[in-house]
Amino acid sequence: MIDDIEQVARRYARYTALGAAVIAILWHIGYDLTVTFLGWDSFRRPELAAAAWVVYAVIAAIATLSLWRTSRGPARIRELAVAALAVDVAVIAACRPEDLLGISDWAWGSVGWLGVMLTWDRPRWRVELAAFLAANAGIMLAAMIVTGTLDRVSIAKYLVVIVGGTTMQLGYAAGCDTLRARAEDAVLLARRLAADEAWRESAWRIHADRLRRYDAIRDAAESLLRELADGADPGDPRVRENCTAGAMRLRRLITEREDMPDELVSALRERIEAAERRKVLVTAPPLGGNLPELPEGVREDLLRAPIRALDGARSRARVTVSAMSTMVSVAVVADTDDLPVTAEAVHEPSGVVVTYQRQEGEIWVNSIWECPRPGP
Amino acid sequence: MGQQHLGVPAARPVTVALVEDHQVVVDGVRSWFATPGPVELVAQGPTIESVLGTTADVLLLDLNLNGTMVVDRVAELCAGGQRIVVFSEHEEPETVRAVLDAGASAFIGKGRATRDSCLETILEVAADRPSVTPPMAQAIATDERPHRPQLSDKERAALLFWFQSMSKASVAARMGIKERTVRQYIDRARVKYAAAGRPAPTKEKLLICAIQDGLIRPEEVTVYTSLAARSGEEPG
Repeated sequence: MIDDIEQVARRYARYTALGAAVIAILWHIGYDLTVTFLGWDSFRRPELAAAAWVVYAVIAAIATLSLWRTSRGPARIRELAVAALAVDVAVIAACRPEDLLGISDWAWGSVGWLGVMLTWDRPRWRVELAAFLAANAGIMLAAMIVTGTLDRVSIAKYLVVIVGGTTMQLGYAAGCDTLRARAEDAVLLARRLAADEAWRESAWRIHADRLRRYDAIRDAAESLLRELADGADPGDPRVRENCTAGAMRLRRLITEREDMPDELVSALRERIEAAERRKVLVTAPPLGGNLPELPEGVREDLLRAPIRALDGARSRARVTVSAMSTMVSVAVVADTDDLPVTAEAVHEPSGVVVTYQRQEGEIWVNSIWECPRPGP
Repeated sequence: MGQQHLGVPAARPVTVALVEDHQVVVDGVRSWFATPGPVELVAQGPTIESVLGTTADVLLLDLNLNGTMVVDRVAELCAGGQRIVVFSEHEEPETVRAVLDAGASAFIGKGRATRDSCLETILEVAADRPSVTPPMAQAIATDERPHRPQLSDKERAALLFWFQSMSKASVAARMGIKERTVRQYIDRARVKYAAAGRPAPTKEKLLICAIQDGLIRPEEVTVYTSLAARSGEEPG
């Protein structure tokens, strides 16, 4: 679902950017080109107007390429913006003074779209676009002052074109920016919802697992209590061992506290439960801290020998896990006779080192992984 | 060994006050401390307040009293010089480090405690000697906080093996050294840990005794306030 929403957000960004390019190109071909060629004779210097049209087209092509690739305006826009404003000046210079506000002077209404493309989705697009449009309006106003075109009708025409053009260009840029922002918000929200969902799912699984184990212990406790009520002797070593085993399982449940199940701990817990079903008395102090990320194969090598010792335990076992950011050590002390023991430490290819030690009917199996230290 | 320490003279039993809210545990501890013996239970109650005012060499404290963790009460109890031994099933290293930083002398995990190990710890603590139980070994060895004590590789290995093996003898066999040397590594790590944490009267006694026993030299004790401890103190 997140992928779909992210794709929609990316499409919003891309197609609104290309929308600006399409408007500018259509305007430039449909209006600017038509006016330039059909009104060729009305220009004072038509070749200058044609050159300006070409420069405009080049700038638009560069900006379109950037929008196509990155859905954002070019990285460096200062030179391109100056060139775009030069197009404005060139077309004014190409026109006769009396046509300054006439149909032939196409540039001042249309370069604003170049500004929109160049500043598209840049970090400071509002300031940059406002400055560009203000410069465009200022150039036209200066030309009117220089040519003395300051009568009421001319000023009214000027205001209509400037306000109309600017409103369209700013409105399109701001509207698309809002759409883009909402789409990004939707992506963030979707990601947060997905994370919450994953957490909820994980918490539910842990909770369900605990309930299942509490149920199992409740059954064991119930049968013990019934046995005692029926006259079992509390001094009987078997009854006492069963009571101790039940208390240990309860204690472990109470002190467990990981929010996210770790695969190494989960695998160990599964074997601990299997041993307990075989009436093995297992002690396993709670694991603290966080396990580091383990490379491929390390977890299996860490678990293999200790789990074999645990599976072979006759009546009691102690399971411990020690972890630091650079080390994980898993150990089992159990009363097992079956496990083949080597005097020398076993070095696994994954870097895990396994050691065995037998003492007074018990075996201590310890596998340790240490994060390889960086070479000199 | 055999030197005169600040702790309890050997002539009389060590007195213990117990704070524990589960009667079954109280009865078990009472049976461990049956007289005549080296340890005598002189007071017992389900709350810290119920034993305050009792003079005892060691206060044996359950951390979870009526569903409330009392880790944050340890520092105030130690501030008066009371030796605290925590007796809890909450053996995770963070909790053990929190109570040791607050000045507790030892931490006994309920999961593995036996009469003998419990008595040994209480007698060591009463004599202000370093005492390291398996949960403490794990907590000290895996400490990665910025102000942790600088342990040697052998001290850290001895602590970890002590936590994960069956006995100090097996640690000695694993490391190829004498059991006495294993004890030295472990005790020295405990003393370093006490020296690196928040200053507390109970830790000062331990450090003085460690110097008397030649476990460390006086210049090795550089007590400073750890970051964790500083956060709980008044400014200025």
